[in-house]
Amino acid sequence: MVQINFARREVNCKIVYYGPGLSGKTTNLELIHQKAGQGIAGQLTSIATEQDRTLFFDFMPLDIGSVAGMKTKFFLYTVPGQVYYNSTRKLVLQGADGVVFVADSDPNRMSDNLDSLKNLEENLKDYNLDPKKIPFVIQYNKRDLPAAMPVAELDNKLNRWKIPTYEAVAVKGEGVMQTLKGLSKMIIERLNDDYGKQPAGATAVPAPPPAAKPATAKPAAPAPAPRPAPAPVAAASKPSAPAPRPAPVPAARAQSTPSAKPSPMAGRSTHGSAKPAPATARPAPATSKKPARGGGGGGGAGKWVAIILILLVVGAAAAYFVLRMK
Amino acid sequence: MAMGKSDEGMRSSRLVFYKEDIEKIDRVLLQFLKSANAKCALLVDKDGHLVTKSGEASTYDMDTISALVAGSFAATKQMAKLLGEEEFSIMFHQGKKDNIQLSLVGDRTILSIIFDDKTTLGMVRLYAGQVAMKLGTLFDEIAQRKSEAESISKDFGQAAKNKLDDVFGS
Repeated sequence: MVQINFARREVNCKIVYYGPGLSGKTTNLELIHQKAGQGIAGQLTSIATEQDRTLFFDFMPLDIGSVAGMKTKFFLYTVPGQVYYNSTRKLVLQGADGVVFVADSDPNRMSDNLDSLKNLEENLKDYNLDPKKIPFVIQYNKRDLPAAMPVAELDNKLNRWKIPTYEAVAVKGEGVMQTLKGLSKMIIERLNDDYGKQPAGATAVPAPPPAAKPATAKPAAPAPAPRPAPAPVAAASKPSAPAPRPAPVPAARAQSTPSAKPSPMAGRSTHGSAKPAPATARPAPATSKKPARGGGGGGGAGKWVAIILILLVVGAAAAYFVLRMK
Repeated sequence: MAMGKSDEGMRSSRLVFYKEDIEKIDRVLLQFLKSANAKCALLVDKDGHLVTKSGEASTYDMDTISALVAGSFAATKQMAKLLGEEEFSIMFHQGKKDNIQLSLVGDRTILSIIFDDKTTLGMVRLYAGQVAMKLGTLFDEIAQRKSEAESISKDFGQAAKNKLDDVFGS
């Protein structure tokens, strides 16, 4: 969900790259990381297996700078593509503001594309999101495969919503930025429609639907794709080599560890180095050096009560002895 | 694509934080840091966006930490469900120098406390419990109250699109 933070002057949007395993989701992020200018793309963090397959998600913040006084950031996530990682895939999808479905153009992968798309629909439905209504695009990746399926056929099988589609060769960076830009504009457009013209008096957290729907201003900027058009941004010149998963970045992906520590290298290091999660926790509070004070914040008052009681007891004892002496 | 059409699932869940709310939250966090002697406190929403931070946080990559905190918490929630729990409300990771404790505040935010050996886990837990309650009450007040409206500029959409063209190429 878009987070609008007026104190930090920030607008934060979440984009999720979805699709079957090995379709090029991580490659998209790696190439965006390479191509985006200095200071725009943040650190690319991967939580992956030893075989370099995404285990939980890849993450990269993209800071496009100040827009109308608000620092605008897109947080890019990928999901693990393998079928058996559905629970983690669903977690990553939570709160998404836009989705890129990265489809493999290889005809042999069509059933994987269809399975993944079906899975996406199911997971979106669980979050009460409708693929027809959310910012959603499809990227036909690996257009350089000699046997790549024609775009019309891919459209026919995968794009029943008639959403914008983009051709790409992610391994070469072709079509990658166009896809991201197209989806980002859709998210911004939606945000502007929903919120930018919202009248004063909105409830704070969470924001309600706008009181009145403003007249939707269709973007003057180049639309990502006319709905029925198969591919608005052609990327593929048809080179020969098939597209295996590249390693454009010297990768030391976090190995089977659920946490990745940011690299100390300033700003632009590619992958966080793995840091094993601690196996044991510290002792329980009871064994800690400073014992917890009874009553927490009221500890000071309790101390004074105790001192007064002790003084009273001592005074009473003294009085008793004095009286007995007499 | 029917842009601008409502989709309640997404629209109703949008998070907006106003300056005055964040100032109140910051005051609570600062008081907590003094009491618990912790290094830094981050408030992160469950989608991985940083809401606010307090203390010595300047050296950390906040965006990535926030995303990982939220991911970690979400994964743990799934684990809890498999064990028959609704969710584990506290998580703790111990390092050689720094430690991090995560605790749930309300339904949608996670309080992440980074601390070192100047304090103890017991102290942090004790005060974290109190601050979570204070923040929970504060969130309730914020949700109830009508805000006197800061709003993003009407030009935001077009300005953002122009910016995207600049950044990613036309």
